[in-house]
Amino acid sequence: MKIGVRLDVLVFTIALLSVPVLSDLILSKVDRRIDLTSQIARITSTLKVENAGNDLVSEVLLTIPDNQAKNLAYLTATSNEGKGKVKASAVNLPVEVVHPKGMPPALTFYSVSLPKGLGKGETFTLDVLAVFTHALQPFPEEITQANIQLVVFSDTAHFLSPYTVKVQSLIVKLPEARIESYTKIENTKIHGSEIKYGPYENLPPFSYSPIGVHFEANQPFVVAQELVREIEISHWGNVQVTEHYNLVHGGARSKGEFSRLDYQSRRYVGGASAVRSLVAKLPPRAHSVYYRDEIGNISTSNLWSDSKKTELEIEPRYPMFGGWRTAFTIGYGLPLQDFLFRAEGRRYLDFSFGCPMNEVVIDTLIVKVVLPEGSTDISVSVPFPVKQWQETKFSHLDVIGRPVIVLEKTNAVPEHNQHFQVYYKFSNLSMLREPLMLISGFFLLFVAGIIYMHADLAISKSSPSYLAKLQWDEVLAVIQQFQNNINRCLTIHDKLEASLRDLSRTGDVQACKAARKAFDGLLKDLSKDLKPLLAFLQSSPQASQILPKVEELVVKEKDLQEKLMAKHSMVVDGYEKKSGGREIENRIALQQQKITALRQEVDDLLEFIEEI
Amino acid sequence: MAPKAIASPIPDAWYPTLSVFMLAIGLVVTASFFIYEATSSRKTRSLAKELVTGAVASVFLGFGSLFLLLASGVYV
Repeated sequence: MKIGVRLDVLVFTIALLSVPVLSDLILSKVDRRIDLTSQIARITSTLKVENAGNDLVSEVLLTIPDNQAKNLAYLTATSNEGKGKVKASAVNLPVEVVHPKGMPPALTFYSVSLPKGLGKGETFTLDVLAVFTHALQPFPEEITQANIQLVVFSDTAHFLSPYTVKVQSLIVKLPEARIESYTKIENTKIHGSEIKYGPYENLPPFSYSPIGVHFEANQPFVVAQELVREIEISHWGNVQVTEHYNLVHGGARSKGEFSRLDYQSRRYVGGASAVRSLVAKLPPRAHSVYYRDEIGNISTSNLWSDSKKTELEIEPRYPMFGGWRTAFTIGYGLPLQDFLFRAEGRRYLDFSFGCPMNEVVIDTLIVKVVLPEGSTDISVSVPFPVKQWQETKFSHLDVIGRPVIVLEKTNAVPEHNQHFQVYYKFSNLSMLREPLMLISGFFLLFVAGIIYMHADLAISKSSPSYLAKLQWDEVLAVIQQFQNNINRCLTIHDKLEASLRDLSRTGDVQACKAARKAFDGLLKDLSKDLKPLLAFLQSSPQASQILPKVEELVVKEKDLQEKLMAKHSMVVDGYEKKSGGREIENRIALQQQKITALRQEVDDLLEFIEEI
Repeated sequence: MAPKAIASPIPDAWYPTLSVFMLAIGLVVTASFFIYEATSSRKTRSLAKELVTGAVASVFLGFGSLFLLLASGVYV
């Protein structure tokens, strides 16, 4: 494999030899640092650009070979004004792919626009961060459980640039472990886990000096082939995040058999590069956290939370060796007020784009933002280019579906963990859609009940049983009216008694008489109403069973009424003649006994009729 | 204009209490509706009273079940 790479490079170098210099820029100093401590290769370069020509220059070209460019996940250039610790706030400079003419093939060019044109003799310093995924090739490609994982990284010791480079150096930072081999050229020094190449001076444009480093890298190569993050907003106070992971261990493939015994008992000998656990850093105040896959909950997880963050440590169902896969889902709810804001009449969600886990490479990252039903005027602001389209999702209590913004990014790295915004308009009244649906659902149930009770479901309208039922219904209705009538009479009786009590308290005879008069009128009306009801019951054959009871009740009630009136008159008389309270009581005592007995009988009869 | 955080119209902590009370009231009204249906005969029944009782019961049951959903974590 190594030989293959070298051959490539050789052909490539020959092709580059006779390329004209197009620009008057020179790079007076280049410091590069390649960080290989994780599976993601981060190359930080500090370039000091100097304009040696006469024309104003406003852009700087960066070069990356095509075979590396296809793994490039992230590229930024920031202006590096000021010195040392008092750096001015870094400004991101716009970077775009360009295809200048007359340049050698197999190179990708990126143009960095400078904030202001560079005049003759002026210098400008910029920092370039390039992040590559899948840049560390496992070598050997297959290992057993007991082996360590070795990887190869190859790059150039000379900064590949269309400009002349005056002074340059390169530091390769490796993990704290064994270094199998590395390319030794002039000025190569090794210091602990750092390999230093350079300084090299006055190199022409497109200088290329291939180097390779072969080293031990036991950190897990967690690659998410697909990660779907679904962020669902509910204005009732929650942002629900669901993340579907499809992970694979992207390091050296495992061969031979897996021994759980060796893995458990000799933890740091066998399976050093296996994925044991992953830590997801969730936002603070996350609640209802779950971790499951398609067969149910996975119990090997831990959760810590403080005021700044929530940490979820998850362990897959099995340790993941090279080439092994797993798929799972984590989900959590977040308080709405931490992520949803209102500005200039619009609402916006402010959320982080990438995966909450450290050092995970994501081949395809899909972020879906599910907005509440009734959102309009949707727009998205993402700090880097993404593919974007819109969908509709049907969730709880939806009629027309919720608008979903889908953002797709390939080759995402932790550097993409930046905040993005989704702007939309939403009326607070639309929040009432869900309760209105529930209310109308319940109301329909009641209406169905009403219709059922009102509907006449009989098939034959002339059958005797149907007619009998109709008549019985009528009898029942009349009896109910009859009951109401009697009950009202009894209430009036109570009121009469109450007026007597008032009399004994205040001694106001006139008021008592007036009340008596009013009640007399009412009772007369009631007994008038009673007559047609009684007549109906007497004529109806269905009511023959209960008729005696009803008639008895009427008689008893009348009796009771008379007795009560008599008592009332006696008491009022007594008061008019200014008799003593004791004397009146004695006189009505007998009457009172009869009244109580009658009232009891009337109540019993009423109860009996009610039970029909 | 500085961005302002948007919170839910009713604090989350109230959802369980609200749901219990509204469902209790709703169920009582529902019970009275069905008692009325069962005890009144076809002649004495009043449609307006039935509809009003049904409407009141469904408002309470509707909001009660909404808050029940929210309290149990189903954010609609």
